[in-house]
Amino acid sequence: MTSPTDIGAALQQDGGEGGAPEPFGLGSSPLRSDALPKALGIYPYAADLWAEGLLWGAVLRSPHPHARIRGIDTSAALALPGVHAVVTAADLPPGPDGLPDGAPAGPIVADRPVLAAGVVRHHGEPVAAVAADHPDTARLAVGLIAVDYEPLEAVTDPEQSFTAPPLHPDGNLFRHLPLRTGDPDAVGEIVVEGLYQVGRQDPAPLGAEAGLAVPRPDGGVELHLSSTDPHGDRDRTATCLGLEPDRVRLVATGVPGATTDREDLSFQVTLALLALRTGRPVKMTLTREESFHTHTSRHPALLRYRHHADAEGTLVKVEAQILLDGGAYADVSAEALAAATAFSVGPYVCPNVFVDAWAVRTNNPPAGRMRGEGALQTCFAYESQLDQLAARVGVDPVEIRRRNAMATGDPLPTGQAVTCPAPVKALLDAVAAEPLPALPVDDPDAEWLLPGGPGGAGDPAAVRRGIGYAVGMVHMLGAEGEDEVSTATVRVSGDHATVICAAVDAGQGFATLARQIVQTVLGVSEVYIAPADSDQSIAGPSARGRHTWVSGGAVERAALMVRHQLLQPIAANFGMSVELLQIADGKITSYDGVLGMPVAEALEGKELWATAQCRPHPTEPLDESGHGDAFVSISFCAMRAVVDVDIELGAVRVVEMTVAQDVGRALNPRQIEDRIEAGVAQGVGLALMEDLQTSGGVLLNPSLTGYRLPTSLDTPEVRIAALLEERDVVATFGAKAVSAVPAVVAPAAVAAAVRAATGLPVGRLPIRAEDAVTV
Amino acid sequence: MLPASLDEAVDALAAAPAAVPVAGATDLMEAVNAGRLRPAALVGLGRITELRGWRYEDGGTAVLGAGLTHARMDRPDFAALIPALADAARTAGPPQVRNVGTLGGNIVTAAPAGDTLPVLTALEATVTLARSGGTREVPVSHLLTGLDPVRPGELLTWVRVPLLHAPQVFLKATGRSGPARATASVALVLDPARRAVRCAVGAVAPVPLRPLEAEAWVAGCIDWDGSREIDPVATAAFGEYVAAACVPDNYGAEGAWEAVTEGPTAAAVRLRRTVSVLARRALGRALK
Repeated sequence: MTSPTDIGAALQQDGGEGGAPEPFGLGSSPLRSDALPKALGIYPYAADLWAEGLLWGAVLRSPHPHARIRGIDTSAALALPGVHAVVTAADLPPGPDGLPDGAPAGPIVADRPVLAAGVVRHHGEPVAAVAADHPDTARLAVGLIAVDYEPLEAVTDPEQSFTAPPLHPDGNLFRHLPLRTGDPDAVGEIVVEGLYQVGRQDPAPLGAEAGLAVPRPDGGVELHLSSTDPHGDRDRTATCLGLEPDRVRLVATGVPGATTDREDLSFQVTLALLALRTGRPVKMTLTREESFHTHTSRHPALLRYRHHADAEGTLVKVEAQILLDGGAYADVSAEALAAATAFSVGPYVCPNVFVDAWAVRTNNPPAGRMRGEGALQTCFAYESQLDQLAARVGVDPVEIRRRNAMATGDPLPTGQAVTCPAPVKALLDAVAAEPLPALPVDDPDAEWLLPGGPGGAGDPAAVRRGIGYAVGMVHMLGAEGEDEVSTATVRVSGDHATVICAAVDAGQGFATLARQIVQTVLGVSEVYIAPADSDQSIAGPSARGRHTWVSGGAVERAALMVRHQLLQPIAANFGMSVELLQIADGKITSYDGVLGMPVAEALEGKELWATAQCRPHPTEPLDESGHGDAFVSISFCAMRAVVDVDIELGAVRVVEMTVAQDVGRALNPRQIEDRIEAGVAQGVGLALMEDLQTSGGVLLNPSLTGYRLPTSLDTPEVRIAALLEERDVVATFGAKAVSAVPAVVAPAAVAAAVRAATGLPVGRLPIRAEDAVTV
Repeated sequence: MLPASLDEAVDALAAAPAAVPVAGATDLMEAVNAGRLRPAALVGLGRITELRGWRYEDGGTAVLGAGLTHARMDRPDFAALIPALADAARTAGPPQVRNVGTLGGNIVTAAPAGDTLPVLTALEATVTLARSGGTREVPVSHLLTGLDPVRPGELLTWVRVPLLHAPQVFLKATGRSGPARATASVALVLDPARRAVRCAVGAVAPVPLRPLEAEAWVAGCIDWDGSREIDPVATAAFGEYVAAACVPDNYGAEGAWEAVTEGPTAAAVRLRRTVSVLARRALGRALK
């Protein structure tokens, strides 16, 4: 019998031999190396991990959004046959005062306990965990843990958070960021105002959290998880357990694709703690419901805007108040708030900007990183404002944007000059120039998919078509002085090269890109990408579109160093400098054509290594008036949405999204298109259906039936109008990150199109059926 | 337990009344995995092939096997027989679910948003409950409302549906274009022999609701002998009538059983609008 792995390998070989030669180097579009195994269902995910003699973990979660824990009785659970350990906050290292504090940790502020100590602050917060010899036993034991809760009043309205009693020793305000630029007394002839609301989008990864912890003989622990930040997760885990970081090893395994920080700290620390406590491997896989409880979601936002413009629609002043609901714990709220504030005007020039932005603590589920955090919420608001302004001035939505569009060299409201390419006008023109999709009346033969889907209740007579435009921006890499660095090692041995870099490919395609970089620099076609783990040198998290730049830069430098080692002796032999040699088409050639040596021959018997780091130019924090050079670079995107709305039922279907994006340089065009399609799908989901609902802090729809994700029928045709390649001179290869900005712009474009179809003031995302009914 | 025939199945259930019959398991396994259900034993119905088809009976009735899958009901030969049931089956979920999920399972799960339920209610279908040594017939609405529930040791085997040879429509409103749970659904069937219109509204209450007065009223507005035409104003009024009958003023309000003095809640207004549009469109399509 042929094993699935053989079939996969056979298919891969067929593809290589039968078709065109394998794409090679930068600018080509090789297939992702994990694409085939994932499509065939043979890719090993973290939930497939196994170790001899393993135990199963399970977690007890709080049923209350806010309660005091008066006592926890674990005796009944411990007495259950098959239970090996029950842990609570008391089993973690104590706080500074010697009392259990649940070992709080977090990416910026260490305020989120691994297991709740004394107080639970959101529905589903982990309180205790069990390791047992069978998953059912573990779950039963969890049910036997008796927790005496004293329910407290839950603060679930972020506006109430300012005056509510503190929910945490750190207080209720994560950050207040004022932005004061220009003349506060400036007024425009035209003033438009709006109140905008963004709901809670969940990353809802199809692969729920899973992992395996194995105790080590030296008292440390090895974690196999689908982490996207091996070193960060290792360090935080070690701190929470009171171990030296070197005693914890984190192996990134079976990442199913992530659009956010993949792992929740509590999950991995609990897993490690159970393994250390029992001395046996412990495996834990979360249910769908737990997965919704455990990972962070997008910040719900309330935004109040006032735009002043002159009679032609040129912006004079923007005033805004932005409130982000950070949920129970800080996570990256401060960073999301910085993006929301700095990009509060959007890719437009405005001399006078006055913004107050707050991120606050509530008893809602914690919010964290998610494609374009902060930038997405304000994009919906400022683009809605621009549509209002266009209507008041009496010009079309594209024209009002062109009149105010930012260009390279223009300042952000934070005072930072946009030194990277900012082709906003060119992007707008590219989407506006694309032909519109045919109307059903012009194309009677084609099957018309009505809002509501095939076999649905749609009635052609009640359907209106709308077209909307939006432009948006998002920053790349860490902001406000965060140290961005990545390290990579390139090794060439005989005819193949190996890249060792702890950058996790969470679906962004870094592994494919690293292969292309080495192919281009060294002319070697066989490139192996070593799996990431925390014993390698640091590469940082897979977030904010940083790996193409930072880790790609490190791989390029290491490859160049190897190239130098390779070419130096050859150049010396011919009495010329290394710069006069080049590698192309698998051959080393000299400028005058005298030398022509195959790379394979030059490499024969050699083993060359080099390690290099890449550290982009530093940034600085925003000061008390919101000023500072806080961002390394910015990417831009323009979209046109075409929607059909059933104005009686309020059903919306996005027919087509046309995208023009500023990519710097297209290193792998097909992968870029895939990322844009993924971003659009996520943006359309937020615009129309994805909303993790709570009532009094209690999650109402933690399932994939209740939490609606876009299906293939909901995802529109994505038409790429242009990938503008204006190199960003400071970026690696001049390339910009591509994943986040489509997700930022798509919701605003869909909202604009629904507004155009219905004439209603769409002020809330996701757009509910009742928001799109006109009769 | 994997009985190969109906008799074996009911005997197995008689021997172990706590055992749970399982067909497609799309609802059952979800409950088991979530820890809500821990069945003492399972009686798998997958091998009972007779339950996977249908037959005709005298008096214009189709007898549908409880093991009919949604995918099978969506096929053209079945759709020609009972179009509304085919429509409901088509929108019931993604292909993976429709390939295994069965008609009988949909009935016994009795989820408020179960898609076939309003259709069966509007058709006034009856179900056969078999037990060791006998069977009994129960109207589907009695089963759903709990007036006459499935007793221990009983197995839902057949669903009897009248063949009306007239237009029937099933429409549902959902939150997306792909398959999703209905926020409201309407099944409407014409019964020309009795000059009746029967309608059921799903997903707005724990069980499908029949707006009997609205049905009787609209049946009187239709020119049954001629081209079955109706005044568009009457169609619109029918929609409003159905919505008002099926959605109470205090829909979605806290303490929903207390008297409401301030008129319909916002949730009730929204849901009525949806139901009214669905009922109006359903009648329009049926009489087209």
